[in-house]
Amino acid sequence: MPPPFYNITMNIELIYSFVIIICSLMIYFGTKELYELSSYKGLKYFRLSFLFFAIVYLFRFLIRLSLLTYNAPRMLDMTPRILGHSAQFIFMYFSSMAVFYLIYSIIWKKFKENSKTIYLFHGLALLLSSITLFFRGPGIILITNVFLLLFVVIIFLLSYKKSKIKKRGLNLYFAYILLFIFWILNIIDLLVPNFLELIQLFIYLASLSIFLLILYKVLKKTG
Amino acid sequence: MVKRGKLEIIKDILKIIKEKHNSIKVTPLLRQSNLSSKRFTEYFHELIEKGFIKDIKEKDKRYISLTEKGFKFLEKYEAIIEFIDEFDL
Repeated sequence: MPPPFYNITMNIELIYSFVIIICSLMIYFGTKELYELSSYKGLKYFRLSFLFFAIVYLFRFLIRLSLLTYNAPRMLDMTPRILGHSAQFIFMYFSSMAVFYLIYSIIWKKFKENSKTIYLFHGLALLLSSITLFFRGPGIILITNVFLLLFVVIIFLLSYKKSKIKKRGLNLYFAYILLFIFWILNIIDLLVPNFLELIQLFIYLASLSIFLLILYKVLKKTG
Repeated sequence: MVKRGKLEIIKDILKIIKEKHNSIKVTPLLRQSNLSSKRFTEYFHELIEKGFIKDIKEKDKRYISLTEKGFKFLEKYEAIIEFIDEFDL
């Protein structure tokens, strides 16, 4: 018999994941026509980022469901072991790539037309996935993610300094930085059991608001 | 003079064709596009490949016209540019 909080937790997880997956897919499909007409690289990476977010949140929901069903505190404790290990590795890879694609959608213009820089990000995402798999302590996961957050925010701020939209306000960059912060908190929440339990609901609400804000901005422009 | 971006050049070429009642010969199109012959040829092939324009040959006449996708691009051009600006892509 499932624990008493099972149904409530599952319903919250289901609604949270469902709303973010729907937002991400609406952004992906809502920009399809603009991309098909323009073949613009920035749009391609922007769309891929939200496709990856949709995959990540679907995966995240399935992982949560498995953890609650098998009553396992961490993915790595799931049996069979290969299932937990692969789930964590894939989750980390897709989740990192979602954010890297979003960064790359803004900075790609600084590289040459046929630059292979995006492969560096794939490499970094694979490295991060491996680190969280082989060094299982919560400390390592926290430190890795804090470094990643710093890396992402620094790239973003450098890009913002040279940005054309500077005059129009901080809105977009601020929303993206919040997205990165809550993305990191989501990862920590999933990988380090009980660490953020008290503020979990706040993390969910904040993440939902950011995705809804980006969706609103997309719909305003695509109609 | 500000350098035109790729999307702007495509829009300009398509607009010229549209304004000539969707039928123009290659030479006047090259002249009005303000591009070098080499760059024009690159764009011309790209536009055919992407299905924005069609190269029609009838008897001894040859002219260029927009496809449905070409008209759609012109219709959506402003929206594309606004989106790119809004998200700093």
